Amino acid sequence: MISVQTAPFDVGTEQQVLTRKRTDIGAVVSFTGLVRDFNERPDVQALTLEHYPGMTEQALQDIVAEAEARWALQGIRLIHRVGRLEPGDPIVMVAVASAHRRHAFEACDFIMDYLKTRAPFWKKEHTVSGHYWVAERNTDIEDAKRWEAT
Amino acid sequence: MSLTHLNSRGEAHMVDVGDKTETRREATAGGRIHMRSETLALLAEGGLPKGDVLATARIAGIQAAKKTHELIPLCHALALSKVEIGFELDEANACVEVKATCRLTGRTGVEMEALTAVSVACLTLYDMCKAVDKDMRIDSVRLLSKTGGKSGDYRRNETADDPRATAPSSLAAPSRDAATNRDMPMITGESPDGHISIAPRNEQPCIQVKFLAELRERLGISDIDIPLESLPSPTVAGLKQALQSHDTRFSLLGERRVLCAVNQVMSADDMSLTDGDEVAFFPPVTGG
Repeated sequence: MISVQTAPFDVGTEQQVLTRKRTDIGAVVSFTGLVRDFNERPDVQALTLEHYPGMTEQALQDIVAEAEARWALQGIRLIHRVGRLEPGDPIVMVAVASAHRRHAFEACDFIMDYLKTRAPFWKKEHTVSGHYWVAERNTDIEDAKRWEAT
Repeated sequence: MSLTHLNSRGEAHMVDVGDKTETRREATAGGRIHMRSETLALLAEGGLPKGDVLATARIAGIQAAKKTHELIPLCHALALSKVEIGFELDEANACVEVKATCRLTGRTGVEMEALTAVSVACLTLYDMCKAVDKDMRIDSVRLLSKTGGKSGDYRRNETADDPRATAPSSLAAPSRDAATNRDMPMITGESPDGHISIAPRNEQPCIQVKFLAELRERLGISDIDIPLESLPSPTVAGLKQALQSHDTRFSLLGERRVLCAVNQVMSADDMSLTDGDEVAFFPPVTGG
């Protein structure tokens, strides 16, 4: 299940929902991304996340569908927040349930790599020295390429 | 010789073809849209992303008056002889006062036409400004006066129900406020530099173009409608050319890092476009 929301989320609650009344799940891997207080410049005070309503949800759906096609998964929960966030705030969560840990680890890694390079979200950082839009990173693009042609 | 659909200030209005008999009916309605003072300032200086706000709202009001019988079940279709839409930008109260006057020579009153014109002009103002202000509020849609007809003349007693009239600040200097309002410039005709007026909706096949995130801020525009016929070819590449011929700032769209989605699906320059397509341009994504 996918959510794009302004509200915070609780990883424990989300994981419980994912595994409730299930006895076939052997592994849950979850990743939580937090807002850092340093990025392209130090002293990040807040950031604003913009998305493209409609297309963003579809892009996340496509990424999740691709993960489900590649690995044997028993559940995925993906939450991405938008709006204004401050350092320490949770920004994104991916939880993947599978019978075996390897599938869950790889699928979670894959979903985050594709999310960072394919889902329409844009970050604007507000720092002591001004506001700027965060630039794309080559390392993210390289990370995403790991999953191609395999 | 002058164009009969333009008044002395170059504003569009319906030509008065009436005044031929004694049975003249006229009604004036008013309405208000409250907004943040920053929004009002942007509106006054023409700085809103959708362009020429008042001119568009004026046309919308005139069109709505003519279509009243299609909206209100028991209204007759009337051959209006005149529709006039006026705007007063009220800085002290951070609102725009919209007035519509409808006139015809005939057997039925025109207050519904005037009220419809005011309502739709207010809604159009909301639509044109909502990108920067979602807290706007439309209120005080009311009949101000009507003349002619069996029920006789009517004139609203504005001092009795106008909340602004009872506010201490307006009591202090009502006449100065009124003078300021009249001095506010009317924004009509050509858009200010860098802003593009939208074509009246549904009049011609259009492509809806959106600019997102950093690209929107660099261009200073979030949405525009581009007539399909202005594209040299019905593709994303053709749309980019049409935009660049509108305004040189759109040459930014030629940058390799600028991405494009047609109807929310990532697309390349050779993607073909048809009426009503939504095309978004945006920078590389940076979520997660």
